[in-house]
Amino acid sequence: MEKLKQNPIVKKLGLNRILLVCILVLMFVVFKAVLGSKFPVGDSIKSTLNYVYFLGFLSLGVTFVIATGGIDFSIGPVMFCCALVSGYCMTSYGVPCAAAMVLCILIGLAFGTFNGWLVSYMSVPPFIVSMASMNIAKGIASVFTKTQSVSWPQSSDPVNGWFRNITSYNGFPVGLVIFLAMAVICGLVLYNTKPGRYILCLGSNSEAVRLSGVNTRKWRMLAYMICGFLVGIGALFFVATYTTVQPGYGDQYNNEAIAGCVMGGTSMVGGLASIGGTVIGVFIISLLQQGIMAFGLGKGQQMIITGIIVIVAVYADVSARRRKN
Amino acid sequence: MGEVILTMKDIDKSFPGVHALDHVNFEVKRGEVHALMGENGAGKSTLMKVLTGIYQKDSGTITYKGKETEFHNTREAQDAGVVIVHQELNMIGDLTVAQNIFIGREPKKGIRVDDKKMIEDSKKLFQDLNIEIDPREKMSNLTVGKQQMCEIAKAISHKAEVIIFDEPSAALTEKEIADLFEIIKDLRKKGLGIVYISHRMDEIKVITDRVTVMRDGGYVGTLITAESSKEDIINMMVGRVIYEDPKEHSMVAPDAPVVLKVEHLNAGKMVQDVSFELHKGEILGFSGLMGAGRTETARALFGADPKQSGTISIMDKSGQLREVTINSPQDAVKYGIGYLSEDRRRYGVVVQKSVTENTTLATMEEFCNGLFINKSKEKKVTEKYVKELATKTPTTDQLVVNLSGGNQQKVVIAKWLTRDSEILIFDEPTRGIDVGAKNEIYKLMSKLAAEGKSIIMISSEMTEILRMSDRIIIMCEGKVTGNIDISEATQERIMDKATRNIE
Amino acid sequence: MTKKKKSILSDQRFVVLLVIIALSAVFSFMSKEFRQYTTILSMLDFSYYDLLMAIGVTFPLITGGVDLSIGTGMVCYALIGGTLIRNNNVPVLAAMLICIVLGILIGTLNGVLIGIMNLPPFLATLCTCMITRGAGSLCSATPWPTLNQPGGWFHSIFKLTIGQGRSASRYPIGFLWMILLVILMEFVLNHTKFGRYTIAIGSNKEAAALSGINVKFYHVMVYVVCGLFTGLAAIAYAAVTPTVQPGTGAGLEMDAIGGVFVGGVAASGGYGSVVGTLVGIFVIMLLKTGLPYVGLQANWQQIITGLVLIVAVLIDILKEKKSAK
Repeated sequence: MEKLKQNPIVKKLGLNRILLVCILVLMFVVFKAVLGSKFPVGDSIKSTLNYVYFLGFLSLGVTFVIATGGIDFSIGPVMFCCALVSGYCMTSYGVPCAAAMVLCILIGLAFGTFNGWLVSYMSVPPFIVSMASMNIAKGIASVFTKTQSVSWPQSSDPVNGWFRNITSYNGFPVGLVIFLAMAVICGLVLYNTKPGRYILCLGSNSEAVRLSGVNTRKWRMLAYMICGFLVGIGALFFVATYTTVQPGYGDQYNNEAIAGCVMGGTSMVGGLASIGGTVIGVFIISLLQQGIMAFGLGKGQQMIITGIIVIVAVYADVSARRRKN
Repeated sequence: MGEVILTMKDIDKSFPGVHALDHVNFEVKRGEVHALMGENGAGKSTLMKVLTGIYQKDSGTITYKGKETEFHNTREAQDAGVVIVHQELNMIGDLTVAQNIFIGREPKKGIRVDDKKMIEDSKKLFQDLNIEIDPREKMSNLTVGKQQMCEIAKAISHKAEVIIFDEPSAALTEKEIADLFEIIKDLRKKGLGIVYISHRMDEIKVITDRVTVMRDGGYVGTLITAESSKEDIINMMVGRVIYEDPKEHSMVAPDAPVVLKVEHLNAGKMVQDVSFELHKGEILGFSGLMGAGRTETARALFGADPKQSGTISIMDKSGQLREVTINSPQDAVKYGIGYLSEDRRRYGVVVQKSVTENTTLATMEEFCNGLFINKSKEKKVTEKYVKELATKTPTTDQLVVNLSGGNQQKVVIAKWLTRDSEILIFDEPTRGIDVGAKNEIYKLMSKLAAEGKSIIMISSEMTEILRMSDRIIIMCEGKVTGNIDISEATQERIMDKATRNIE
Repeated sequence: MTKKKKSILSDQRFVVLLVIIALSAVFSFMSKEFRQYTTILSMLDFSYYDLLMAIGVTFPLITGGVDLSIGTGMVCYALIGGTLIRNNNVPVLAAMLICIVLGILIGTLNGVLIGIMNLPPFLATLCTCMITRGAGSLCSATPWPTLNQPGGWFHSIFKLTIGQGRSASRYPIGFLWMILLVILMEFVLNHTKFGRYTIAIGSNKEAAALSGINVKFYHVMVYVVCGLFTGLAAIAYAAVTPTVQPGTGAGLEMDAIGGVFVGGVAASGGYGSVVGTLVGIFVIMLLKTGLPYVGLQANWQQIITGLVLIVAVLIDILKEKKSAK
């Protein structure tokens, strides 16, 4: 084991990440072996990818927030709020599709800014901000749409159907390319730019960073804003895959996004984040959802299993930290 | 002194990778105050933790009141009468004094806790100790000194026979230390065994009967205080003779320009109408007792805490003194001030990050090529400072958490040097740093001053103040009570001003 | 010694009481219907489960933690209880006990995750929130017996009905029980070891542990008590909800937690009062009940609860800042 850890290739990629990929492959093999024809390879990969697209953006976003040592579990309802409000503008007020898409991202950004401002400038604990903005997002979505569900255009729609191309174009997985590109950008931002450096450092020791003459409030807020922005994009991918959104829901995606992030090795204590890990984590979570459904189990079991996974992943992180100290 | 109440013999304890205690011997007699001394990391606290059951020993014997004993947790030790008064106060701010004293063993009346009895008993305890504290007061409303008294009352209420004081004076004022010594003398008279851990040599001479010295986890020897000199003890602690010559005269040129001028600074209760000037190339010592307001002055000056009034002027590039507004550390850093906190792990370094990341933290802009960080430039600069300051680290990628206190301090110094800060505020620069590294830090500070940096040095160690400063500002209860040149400074003069309050 | 005399106005509970009176006055003035006895009666009916959850969650909040699983947990227990009554002919009394036992079990799980395994409270309970929601959605929508059905007697715990049909007069005796419970739990908080150690954990956990308190045990117990009250809330919820719907309950914890913060619990833990929780909940209930009468649709209430939560916490934070000076 020690020898393996010292191997330069393993070191470069990170043992955890290699293990995670192995888990991912193993899960796929097991599903196929157990379920057989109930788990068709092509369709399963496709539905997994569809899930990855929207969940991935949520997970990437919340990785930034968790890196600061905070949390945001309003992302699921906020994603729905973005999709609902902008979709409603399109269907009921005739806003052009492209404008609605921009609006969708802006709403996400607005929520991120609001959350970040409360957490960093007003010092409200992040979990309270999350609770409040979860409610506010649900409330706004319901009030705005008069509690009606909203459907984004189908791909057959002659005018606006083009927007579906963000997930796939003639069978080519455009969504995957966009998602991975975004992950690379997030990685660059987090590890190779000034804001990323500040976000990681202040997650580790905020006061020391402040006393180094850094405006910690601004950078902490930025992390929440990046999260909100990515949630807005995630909302677009959600409707591009599943078309219809209903107000009052979205909670379960909080947990799945956080699960992907924490599984990938981002520490809940802050200061330590792995974008690569988050990407693999999201794939595992998404594949798991498909597996659960292929087993004929419903949303209920999905939630229970995701809940347990987060507990295990966070416990692993907590106990690993304790061993280090 | 009476018979021996507690003997620890051949105590051995290892942690993974560290031999923390190497066959240590220690004993306490009834009616004695026994000092336990040694540098940081010598193993004093570990030994006391083994005694009170926080750690379990690997081998050796503990004999308490004639019987071989081993405590498995603090509770067992408390019940047997071995109690520790911790350095960091163990108080629950939201509960009252009485509730704190009796926490964990509240008297009960049916299902409810008998608060009345607790208050009565606390009153009695305080009467015995001659302290005036209302047991119904909320703990967080008391001063640090009063909280310490409560902690002692709590220890005594356990029917303690051995009380361990772990650096009790660190946060106390002169008056409170005097009160504390009265209490300790009283306890000694009653026949309790007292262990007193402290770094302050003068206290050791005043209050203790015997001194046991530890070094690097090992037992060095035990002396009778009255028969040994300060040098004897220090020699045992460091294993070599160190000379701490005070500075004879100021090293600053008489015509050195003023680089920082603070006038009528007010910030809360701890900083009242503070004014002083700092010259180029000067080391300005800030002396005073704990809680005199020195750190608060530094933090207010640096913008870390809000201030109510006062003007700050700083010399700009053209050599002109110009009034500046400092509302945040950001502003202060912009004007070339760097602050090195006494609590490095909390306020100085980001321990979970690398030496490089810490070194460039205050100067990120300079290492950015457009959007991205130029990591090779970062590395080059960091390596330069590692070499220049002789920081002991295997690579620049090492996490700061793995460095010793002295080397962590050097990383913080490197951070400000990278920033090219002209004014450096060292708050207790050598706290928690062992003697060898201390000298290195001193040399470094002198070198910086010689190169034209201006330094404010807050220190509670008289020897440090006398050895390093060119000029000394003395504070007492939030006010400046003295400003003397090093050539006129003596320990007595400084102490006199540090304890005297101006009208 | 300086024993500061506190003016009654500095007590948040009193201020909140004034807010209640003001709110009632405004709503009564603006709407005739609001002034009726039936409105008050139904407001009280719907306040019991909120209040029971809130009393329970006051304790985790005082320790500086939180329990986000109370809303979904309550619905989950009510669903399981209802299913057992319908499908397995379990007597109502037994079903009620099962609700309570389930509450204690999930509470214990939360307690173990937080107190012993050291998971962050919001994350651990976010997971149990998902788990209970998932478990609940495995049941089908189940009505508990109505008043006139066999087993319907349990409604009388909360609302005593004397007479029959339209001429029946109804007495909200549930309110009496609530007052008694509030007094009981206020006593527990201030005069028993459990209460004292709850405050101690919230104020300074390390110090509490070094004082020889079995911190782990009491930390677990805090969540057990919260679970117990959630179980009780499940019964009150079943009594007012014609058919308990699976998959609901997310968001109900917000009303309870919001109420506790309005009642003046410290955002960082260490201080709180059950009486405060009582008055706090009534602010939330008044808004919930009163807003529709002044022409705002029900979903506005979600947004307003979110804002009220933030404002309540901000007031606490500003107060702390002021006293720190």
